[in-house]
Amino acid sequence: MTEFLIGRGHDGPARVGVYRMGSTKVQTPFLVGSPNTESIIGYATLGRNDSPSGGPMILAVPSPIHDSKSFISDAREDDSILLPSFPAVSFLGAEAAELMLESQLRFINEIQGMVDPSRLIVRIPRQLAPEKLASILAEFSSLGVRAASMLFDGWLGPQDYSVLSSRTMLPIDWLAIALGRISPSSIPFLFYLGFDVFDLGYAAESASRGVRLWNLSEESITGGILPRNCSCTACADYSDLRELDREKLHAVLLGHNLNIYQSNLSESVQSLRLGRLRWLVESMVHSSTAATSLLRKTNKSLFAFLEEFTPTSGQTNLSLIGPESYNSPTVKRFRDCLSSRSTPPEHKTLVLLLPCSARKPYSESKSHQRFIKTIERAIGAARSSVAETILTSPLGVIPRELERLYPAAYYDIPVTGDWDIEETEIAADALVTHLQKFAESVVIVAHVSGGYLDVVKSAEDRVTQSIVYTTDQHSPSSFDSLQSLQNTLNDMREVLSLKGGPPALFKDTLRATADYQFGPGAGEALVPDGAKLGGKLYRMVVCRVDKEQTCAFIGDRGSLSLTLEGGRRLIPLQRYWVRFEGRKLEGGSIFAVGINEADPRIRPGDEVIVLNNQDELIAVGRSEMSGREMCDFKKGQAVSVRHKVV
Amino acid sequence: MSDIIERLEHILVDSTVKARGTSVAKRRRRNPTKPSAKWIAPARIGNEVGVALAVVLGTVGCSHARGDSGGCTMCSYLLDGDERSPTTDELLQQFDNAHSELTDETAPLSVKIYTSGSFFDTTEIPSDVRTKILARIAKDERIQEVVIESRPEYVTPDIMRETRDILGSRRIELGIGLESSNDAIRSICINKGFSLSTFKGAVANAKEYDIGIRAYVLLKPPFLTERDALLDAVKTIEDAAKLGVSTVSMNPVNIQKYTLVERLWRKEQYSPPWLWTVMSVLRDAWNKVGSSINILCDPVAAGKVRGAHNCGSCDESITSAIREFSIHQDISVFDSLDCDCMRQWHHVLNHEDISLLIHSRSRRS
Ligand code: SF4
Ligand SMILES: [Zn+2]
Ligand SMILES: [Zn+2]
Repeated sequence: MTEFLIGRGHDGPARVGVYRMGSTKVQTPFLVGSPNTESIIGYATLGRNDSPSGGPMILAVPSPIHDSKSFISDAREDDSILLPSFPAVSFLGAEAAELMLESQLRFINEIQGMVDPSRLIVRIPRQLAPEKLASILAEFSSLGVRAASMLFDGWLGPQDYSVLSSRTMLPIDWLAIALGRISPSSIPFLFYLGFDVFDLGYAAESASRGVRLWNLSEESITGGILPRNCSCTACADYSDLRELDREKLHAVLLGHNLNIYQSNLSESVQSLRLGRLRWLVESMVHSSTAATSLLRKTNKSLFAFLEEFTPTSGQTNLSLIGPESYNSPTVKRFRDCLSSRSTPPEHKTLVLLLPCSARKPYSESKSHQRFIKTIERAIGAARSSVAETILTSPLGVIPRELERLYPAAYYDIPVTGDWDIEETEIAADALVTHLQKFAESVVIVAHVSGGYLDVVKSAEDRVTQSIVYTTDQHSPSSFDSLQSLQNTLNDMREVLSLKGGPPALFKDTLRATADYQFGPGAGEALVPDGAKLGGKLYRMVVCRVDKEQTCAFIGDRGSLSLTLEGGRRLIPLQRYWVRFEGRKLEGGSIFAVGINEADPRIRPGDEVIVLNNQDELIAVGRSEMSGREMCDFKKGQAVSVRHKVV
Repeated sequence: MSDIIERLEHILVDSTVKARGTSVAKRRRRNPTKPSAKWIAPARIGNEVGVALAVVLGTVGCSHARGDSGGCTMCSYLLDGDERSPTTDELLQQFDNAHSELTDETAPLSVKIYTSGSFFDTTEIPSDVRTKILARIAKDERIQEVVIESRPEYVTPDIMRETRDILGSRRIELGIGLESSNDAIRSICINKGFSLSTFKGAVANAKEYDIGIRAYVLLKPPFLTERDALLDAVKTIEDAAKLGVSTVSMNPVNIQKYTLVERLWRKEQYSPPWLWTVMSVLRDAWNKVGSSINILCDPVAAGKVRGAHNCGSCDESITSAIREFSIHQDISVFDSLDCDCMRQWHHVLNHEDISLLIHSRSRRS
């Protein structure tokens, strides 16, 4: 019996887990290679090499031109088996590709009873339409197959897009194996896309060609150029590799090449644990135009897949270093949620557009403290009728009420003041969408300059409200600009008859956060009129309704924690629910095995409500996986319970 | 499984037809009274050294490639043919033109008649032309050996009897493209269009009239890993020997124009065999059946990107060793060959089998 168990922790589709081959437990992700390379698991072809020996291996069955069945008996109980297929045939088109899968299905039927299907690995051909692939894979799944391999040929590029899109079609609890030529720099990328096993063949092939692999390039050890210095365990003793004899050189190159795969893989795993894998991927693709275009295409076309497994909360700094970040799952999801979920409070009659600041949350930065002081000086308590709206790249617009939210409070960009066309467009679109939510009578005051001003200008035609500009090209925090802002607001007080009302910052913040987290209606459900709010935004604000707490705003996450009462209030919205197959909870966690149904909106890190099989609320907590995973996985923690009904 | 192979065959036929494209219709007009090619070279004839004339008659081309079946995946011989079938007179003129090359030569002579198709296919060579050409050879006492090429379905008892009757006691060898003894490979990798039993029938028909068979064995059709290609060629040579052929001519695939192989090669889904593979096949096959048959190999475009090749620095020495071997049937010519690229070849043998990735050598990083 072979089994793949996915462990805790997520960063995009990447995951860690255990591949159990009989009694051997292999941590995923892992490397596969010839037994003589120091790979974690060895591979070989049945009937071609010596009979398998040592630990469990991955064994390929030779081509269907042979009597493939006859080879099976050489495999041992714990070995996994790559199903037989033909090379290159799928390039004859979709029909041929489909036949490649059908012939594997046929083979499984032929060997029925000889091999436990959980040991089998289906080879996914290129060139197959994703829907077709998904339906054929369902057949493999029903036969008990739990692993698939896909093929790559060297440094990643747009040609690999179809393989990545096939990857997204795999049942989520399958082991995904990347075979072929895998360059070391592809490892973070492929791991991020949800591959669990990586072929070391390219390390061996390169060594056999006298090539030393690096993350950014390949180094041929020949001729006139002095080889680079490398302090890895394989190279450290040799100052000039050209002086080595053939055998020795090969051993050193192989050792070095394996080292770089191992180090890239371990860096990828650590990055996952730190929530920095996406950053690692973006950093590594920048060295290659081909890989960069692949990532951009992936962002765009496989967004739903990437997003589904990307946590909605995080504590680490999110470095958004270049155009590949503009549509990364965290960033685009923020823009999408803001546009589809947030509604500005009705009492806002003036929108004040402000530039972002390097320090987060913005209101703690010097520039924003000046803005706030100026606003208060100008209109005092009427500040509550001002929708302070921050423009920023690549998140677009951020209402003051959401400035502490992830990722708004955690991102970092290289600040130069110059915006490229794409980021200007992204921000302008976000601005237009956001302003459409305000009444036409609302006045927009744009207290921005430079790139921010360009954003407003390029949105202007599509904005129905009138816009007043204050800065006259000076820096918004300059004395002159602030003076001008104060004067403008002063004027507006009369024009719009701004009035001071009760302070609304807490209520606005909690409602906006609730809508963002749970969708429209959640704000009113959790923070109804008359709710008592107390605390500090930067620490915690507790919301009570009739003395009963519904939720608390946690300052350093910028998000809400639910109480059971809060959970009950969310039930009618029918969002973010998990159905536990039982009446009552034992213990402090809920495991995937106990869940057959959950809201597919749920992402790792979301606050969720747990219902029992009679639709009663039994707990609230934090999801550890996405909704689909809770339903499909048989093991693993699905929800960390915060409160439960006792 | 057989129905899957059958469906693959259909796809393959479509693909080869597509790969031909308009090349068949656009064949250039050529002088119908001159052969497509002719050459003479010294050759071993029986136990003596003499001269061999090879002539490629320009015909309308191989029936298998002309028709809806698309022809073989690696072959573009059809392009040497003519859009229009030459007349009886023109075909005879072609032969005479080539035959005149032998005017000044003395016995023993050998004549090899090729057609970019089948000499015994009457749609290419009408039967009266065939008998007239054979009669002309029969009249030339110096000619002691005749080599003819044909697909096996045209090797009928009648034609064999007639050929033997006309040519008398001369040594006759019939070249047939067996390519592979594995029916699945012959059909879905090569699209050859006949089965092993047809080949066996041809061998039997020829033997009846003491006509020897030279089996052409193909090394590395598409859709096989390097290792499967190697193993299949060795096995095929073994099987051919068992079937009683007199000679095996082993042909590593080279990339010809307007073929499916060329298309795959452009997409990096085909790579011509390594010369190490060619060498291994010859050595392994000779060890098994070298005592009973001759194994010949003259790799086309060896050392070039479109032919069997290695790293570039060892290609020449290996190619000449292969030619050496063909003449002397002595495998010790391979003993001292070595090169750094051998390790890479070993890797490809192993890794292609596991990954099923075609290890193309035209592009890197
Ligand atoms: S290899 Fe022979 S049978 Fe095949 S297409 Fe070419 S000439 Fe015809
Ligand atoms: Zn090193
Ligand atoms: Zn070489």
